[in-house]
Amino acid sequence: MLTYTLRRILGMIPTLLVISAVCFAVIKLQPGSFTDQYLEDPRFTRETAAAISRQLGLDQPALVQYGRWLWGVVTRLDFGYSFLQNRPVVSVIGDLLGWTVFLSLITLLFSWLVAVPLGLYTAFNRHGWPASIANFLGYVGLAIPDFLAALLLVALVLQLGGTNVGGLFSPAYIDAPWSWAKVADLLGHLWIPVLALGLEGVAGLMRQMRASTLDVLTQDYIRTARAKGLPQHRVIWRHAVRNAINPLISLAGLSLPSLISGTIIVSIVLSLPTIGPLLYDSLLNKDQYTALTLLMLSAFLLLVGNLLADLALAWADPRVRYA
Amino acid sequence: MLKRTRSMPRLLGLVTLALLGGALAAPKKVTGYGSLGITDGKPGGTYTLVLGDSPQSLNYYGVIDNNLGLIAQQLFDGLVEFNYATYKVEPALAESWTISPDGKVYTFKLRQGVKWSDGQTFDADDVVFTYDQIIMNPEARAGDAASFKLDGKQVDVKKVDANTVQFVLPRPSPAFLLQMRSFIMPKHKLLKFSQEGGAKPADINNAWPSNVAAAEVVGTGPFKLGSYTAGQKVTLVKNPNYWKVDGKGTKLPYLNGLDFLIIRDPQAQVAQFLAGNVDQLNISGAQFPDLKQREVSGAPFKVMRSTALFGSPPFVAYNFDAKDAALAKVFSDARFRRAMQSALNRPRIIDAVYNGLASLPGHGVAPVNKEWYTNTTKQLGTFDLKAAAAALDALGLRDTNGDGVREISRGKNLEFDLTYATDSSVYPAIATILQNDFGKIGVKVNLRGILAKNLLSTGQSGNWEMILHAFGDQPDPELRKPIWQPGGALYYWHRSLQPAKDGDRPNVARMAPWEKEIYTIFDDAATTTDRSKRKALYTRWQLLFAQNLPVTPIAKPENIGAISNKYGNYIYNLGVIPGYNPVPLIYQK
Amino acid sequence: MTALPAPTSTPSPWALAWRRYRKSRLGVIGGWLLILLYASALLAPFLAPYSITAQHEGLSYQPPQRLHIVHEGQVRTPFVYGFKQERDPVTFARKNVEDRETPIPVQLLVRGEPYRFLGVPTTLHLFGVPEGAYFFPLGTDQLGRDLLSRTLVGGQVSLTVGVIGVLISFTIGILLGGVSGYFGGWVDNLIQRVVEVLLSFPRLPILLALSTLIPARWPSTWVYLGIVAVLALIGWAGLARVVRGQVLAARGLEYVTAAQAIGARDLRVILRHITPNLSSFLVVTATLALPGYILGESALSFLGLGIKEPMTSWGLLLKDAQNFQTLRLYPWLLIPGLFIFLAVLAFNFFGDALRDAADTQSR
Repeated sequence: MLTYTLRRILGMIPTLLVISAVCFAVIKLQPGSFTDQYLEDPRFTRETAAAISRQLGLDQPALVQYGRWLWGVVTRLDFGYSFLQNRPVVSVIGDLLGWTVFLSLITLLFSWLVAVPLGLYTAFNRHGWPASIANFLGYVGLAIPDFLAALLLVALVLQLGGTNVGGLFSPAYIDAPWSWAKVADLLGHLWIPVLALGLEGVAGLMRQMRASTLDVLTQDYIRTARAKGLPQHRVIWRHAVRNAINPLISLAGLSLPSLISGTIIVSIVLSLPTIGPLLYDSLLNKDQYTALTLLMLSAFLLLVGNLLADLALAWADPRVRYA
Repeated sequence: MLKRTRSMPRLLGLVTLALLGGALAAPKKVTGYGSLGITDGKPGGTYTLVLGDSPQSLNYYGVIDNNLGLIAQQLFDGLVEFNYATYKVEPALAESWTISPDGKVYTFKLRQGVKWSDGQTFDADDVVFTYDQIIMNPEARAGDAASFKLDGKQVDVKKVDANTVQFVLPRPSPAFLLQMRSFIMPKHKLLKFSQEGGAKPADINNAWPSNVAAAEVVGTGPFKLGSYTAGQKVTLVKNPNYWKVDGKGTKLPYLNGLDFLIIRDPQAQVAQFLAGNVDQLNISGAQFPDLKQREVSGAPFKVMRSTALFGSPPFVAYNFDAKDAALAKVFSDARFRRAMQSALNRPRIIDAVYNGLASLPGHGVAPVNKEWYTNTTKQLGTFDLKAAAAALDALGLRDTNGDGVREISRGKNLEFDLTYATDSSVYPAIATILQNDFGKIGVKVNLRGILAKNLLSTGQSGNWEMILHAFGDQPDPELRKPIWQPGGALYYWHRSLQPAKDGDRPNVARMAPWEKEIYTIFDDAATTTDRSKRKALYTRWQLLFAQNLPVTPIAKPENIGAISNKYGNYIYNLGVIPGYNPVPLIYQK
Repeated sequence: MTALPAPTSTPSPWALAWRRYRKSRLGVIGGWLLILLYASALLAPFLAPYSITAQHEGLSYQPPQRLHIVHEGQVRTPFVYGFKQERDPVTFARKNVEDRETPIPVQLLVRGEPYRFLGVPTTLHLFGVPEGAYFFPLGTDQLGRDLLSRTLVGGQVSLTVGVIGVLISFTIGILLGGVSGYFGGWVDNLIQRVVEVLLSFPRLPILLALSTLIPARWPSTWVYLGIVAVLALIGWAGLARVVRGQVLAARGLEYVTAAQAIGARDLRVILRHITPNLSSFLVVTATLALPGYILGESALSFLGLGIKEPMTSWGLLLKDAQNFQTLRLYPWLLIPGLFIFLAVLAFNFFGDALRDAADTQSR
């Protein structure tokens, strides 16, 4: 197991290299240059544009730009410079990383805690009306795009006279020191993004959990376990759930990168201080090193997620073994 | 009290000095805005505005960023500023100025007793430093080096004494005073990032990044930086050293604090405004009925319409240099552009897209700009599809094969792309209306949607056929010269006129006669100091514009602002207009 | 009801599946709903009273017209009242005043705007009102276009692209995922690395790059189909991961080992013995993926990549409704969202029933 893990980690390096090269190429594929966006400003002349390009190294061939970035990363862990913000990319991302991880984990936790029990419930009680309601709500979650859900939630809060219609805090608390009141204020705001972001995931996970539980329940080992006279809850937890959760684990591994890209639209609609909008901006504005670093972060999270998922798979399902 | 400086500057300078009788502290009294509903307020309170995105830096000259601009205009001042009502230039950090008879030497007497927000004294060194080391530095990203080079020669700025600064121009430039609105920066904080302080020219861009300590950002403006929470909020606090007072002598600004909430989505901005977390918001005509209805039914805010000078009237342009030679020929023909203007349903666009909250446009000058506007409404014509069809017939663009689309040449349809911004509340609807109406007279239009951010660079690339775009209006046509003078950097619908290098002479030989005339008009007006002669020149330009339609203006949208009832003295404020900042007058009731 | 010959005592597996499917009430409803939706999409130009591009000037944002049968106390054939529009001088809101004087009779099978049905030009519409009057059952949009017509025609796009996208990505995903999990070793390693690269392939920049490369003259339907194909070609990777995980687990099961032992070919083992075991997971994943494709186009059109005017789709129609003034002043613009919901519901009901029908061992 340990050697397997080590081998996988070493194997990430070439994969990340390939991904970084591909990402850089795709970023460069977009026509135009970083300085284009400023042309509308009367203060901005071609002379200034040329000076900036020189200063940022944009007058060099793309291969040289990529090589320099890579060299910086490998030798100094320097992920380059944000053209837009005139400071290192790492510090730009660092500003937003905390909230991004926090929000994503909360959302992930929310959708799993709601979806897995509901999925199990609807699998074991297929025909009752509570299951039908749960299913129906799941469909609603699926059919409403997350940004419309956010908008409708905000409209609802407004209608009820609330003021927590976006962001993570009331304006007064944003730059206040931490206190219980601030935590309470945070909780008052948090539920909207968590619902808007988590709803879609809940529906998907719940339906998949239900389906795979139903599959597992018909397998021979469950029958054997039942026949052996094991108590019902033991059958369920030891055998059914552990097996049914297999495909969901693979999915969970894939969901780590959505920390970054999955929240773009909802973050914009709900004014959340996460990384998603930064990725969008850096791509649109051709702030190439910021974009590249974020894409690499996303790729790295994906690889880690995949590895964790594979390890978890081996734990949950003893039949999966690694040579 | 200090109005009409421009017409008799020298005299007024003397009068001002005499009136103040040598007093050291000479705050500016802000009075005379009764017509805008301005009254004396009371100190206190906090006012919250929105920012469309996080500021990219806190160094105004380091990044071109509208959001930073909104903050910066509360932190800094220029030597001169606009009158809120008349848009005329009046004293700010400069108390008075003189212009030499040949129009080449500008001497500014600085306001005495002005202090930076950290208590240091503001003086001529700061002004010279700002212009010489930052604004005229071609490597400063948001500097303005080009405007301080006239006929290839540098404007010279020098300190006469601690309170006097002099600019020497290579040639007269009647709009030069408007350039003096640029924000003055503190030398004592920024010296180390400048060449004078031993740094590389480009290093100035790295000063004051967005994670800088708040105490480092020092200005002369009504507010100073309190704190910045990444992606969420910028907090400004009152600058106790500010140099303006109201009619009663109360120190401005009235407010103790000014907050900017960072909200990117226009819908979310409305939500925060409705929830009372934001106190003032500029909205679009599409949003007006909803908010006005709420106001009428008792919501605690007012929605106000104003016909402010600034704002961007949309236009359509045809590419004179379209890649398809046949199209380029048709597009270059003023008769074609006039024919298509008859198929432009302005009243319907104003009604359906702007909810009736727009008016007919001017040509390069806003109709509300009394100083320069010439009435060109007649040249706009009326919406008449039959006339448009007949005019196209007369040009030989007929539908000969009966497929409902006119032919541009044998076997080739009159068909082209309309490039527009998809992420806008007005462009998609206007584009669809145009497509529909043009289709009715046998002109096939394909919609090509791109992001608003890419509109100008697409325009400049020449890779388009018809485009829907807008440029902002400014008080003086001279300020929009790069847009409207043929061969200018932004005159992109006839790109082949642009010189290979900035500052070179454009390709005059390729200009149509009317373009040549406009070209000369702008050159003449740029050096004419006589006001009535300039007015005559610009009048002629507007008529040529209206006649030949280098671009076809569509409508001039009204400016709409919504403001919470808690505050008084609100004046509509479009956004970043250096020298136009009415926030110091706002007070909490 | 089984159409199969029934002399044998054990019915065929298909007949059994059919019987199980019919037992699921929601599944049957879902099936009918799907048939209805697809039929309406197919017949859209005939069912739609107006062309989707017809802009009725002066009738912007008109609310839906109700069908009446009683006029001034008398019962008549179904009719509607027209609206007169005026603007409130203060709020500038449109006021729609119902003209109760003149009932407008609604007629069946009328001649209207010309269209082509399966290539045949015709002017026959299911219903309409006499010329000069208008009937907008679901109201109009900002430009005075009939929302019902746009919704019906928009369904043509929305109901096809999802299915195409799912088909492409599932074919590739199942095959490669199966191969990867079944063979293991270097094949697995290679495919998984490809999957990882594909999964971390940045979609947004690819779409941005594509949006500048595709010419505006391409019909928007083709553009969108192209994008769906591209997305599906990238999108199979996630599915391949999951299938691999399941195959890894299934590989050790007795019946697979048995099949291998009697010398079944590898592909046959994957397709016949392992994939059916995954069927319920696959059906659910497919029905879950569909709404993503239906809704995805609205995000794409933001980048100028999706369905473009004058063509339309449900995603695009719903995009118009996403602001506060619409929620309050023109709520009928949310109706296309209802259609999306119905389609998602129908696909999922149907998918569940399919799953249950394919499930041979259930109690």
